[in-house]
Amino acid sequence: MKATRPKGKSWQNYKVAVTGINARAENPGPGCAVARCIQEHPLFKGSIIGLGYDALDAGLYARHLCNNSYLIPYPSEGEEALLYRLAQIHKSEGLDAIIPCLDSELQNFGRLKSELQLMGISMLIPSRDQFNLRAKNHLSAFCESIDVNAPESKALSNPTFFDTCEKEGWKYPLIVKGIFYDAYIVHSAFEAKSVFAKLVSTWGYPVLVQKLVIGDELNLAAVGDGKGNMLGAVTMRKKALTEKGKAWAGVSIVDDGLTRVAERIIGALSWRGPLEVEVIKGYDGKIYLIEINPRFPSWIYLSHAVGRNLPVAVLKLLSGLTDLELSEPTSGTFFIRHAQELIVTLPEFETVLTEGRLAPQMVQDQIIRSA
Amino acid sequence: MEELMSRAGGKVPTRERLSQLAVSETGFIFDPQTGQSFSVNPTGLIVLDLLKRGSTLDVASNSLADRCGIPTEIASSSVEAFILQLGRYL
Repeated sequence: MKATRPKGKSWQNYKVAVTGINARAENPGPGCAVARCIQEHPLFKGSIIGLGYDALDAGLYARHLCNNSYLIPYPSEGEEALLYRLAQIHKSEGLDAIIPCLDSELQNFGRLKSELQLMGISMLIPSRDQFNLRAKNHLSAFCESIDVNAPESKALSNPTFFDTCEKEGWKYPLIVKGIFYDAYIVHSAFEAKSVFAKLVSTWGYPVLVQKLVIGDELNLAAVGDGKGNMLGAVTMRKKALTEKGKAWAGVSIVDDGLTRVAERIIGALSWRGPLEVEVIKGYDGKIYLIEINPRFPSWIYLSHAVGRNLPVAVLKLLSGLTDLELSEPTSGTFFIRHAQELIVTLPEFETVLTEGRLAPQMVQDQIIRSA
Repeated sequence: MEELMSRAGGKVPTRERLSQLAVSETGFIFDPQTGQSFSVNPTGLIVLDLLKRGSTLDVASNSLADRCGIPTEIASSSVEAFILQLGRYL
């Protein structure tokens, strides 16, 4: 099998598939923001294909973001089902690149990297080793190996830990986290065990417990080139949170300490692809690493606003460009997230449910027929 | 400034720290390192502007005394109090 993507095709004309286009107001996936970054770049003339998991993923119907949209199988169905579906979509669309935007799907995409490359579809994603080393349950050991502070954390498979943890120095409040997503602050053993059960039923074992560090929460998004270099970091401080602790308002800042920590992480892992580094800057001035997310964050549109459009940087890297034309880091640009209703017609919804796709012409025809 | 630092310890912002602040004409201040923003009143703005330009505490106090028509001693203690207050935000 030969690569179908013509060599030397400009990123500006790419057909790019983007996942994670769910957009629940309190905890949106990053896909819609990634699509928006690319669509709003003045030089982009290609198209975005939205890949959703649920017929209610808003990005499927967001015409200003996704030119065409498709449903794909949930990550739990495995990589073979994903490959089969992607091959179908590729036959219709002729994809050049995919930007996976969810932690839970990255391992499947990672296993399919060679097959997709042979089909002419590129991805800038971490290797399995890179992905595993930064995983939540390995984070403490990784931080120790690169001399970065991290709050003490532990992987749990038994909730009885919460009954006796205070005797072992784990004082409440503590943070309890799912292996892929979700984090809750708990103030008692009762509350902790209830959260434990909820996280196990959603994300499986293990559940992670972490000591709480008091300070300011800072987030950094960047792209690793796979050779140990960090490209185009954008740092944000959360100004207001949703109930889930996600940013609904934030501001760009420049924090040299965090930048150095992120450079050390990317250098140590030779990270390839997008990532988000979440830290707490403690009131003692030290930076404590909380999480490394192996994908763009949902606030990534801020990167476009500060002249460091990281999703477009990924496309440029995939096309072989080395000059990413990123502006100098700047501070003082705010974002405020807001919820908005997308209007979906019955034929559109029906087409997604029955055919797993939404093509504009087909929908247009149905609307005309039903008028 | 350095003298005040030795008296008050780590709560006094350094000149380098002050020079990083983005200050608007109306006294709105944005700290690019932390993302915090706050406002100072017109007299605070006069002092902050002078300190950012490298003035000593004495020069800032004398200038404030001249512009506001108050005794230098009062201006001096006000400037010190202002800097210590600023230190709690930075």
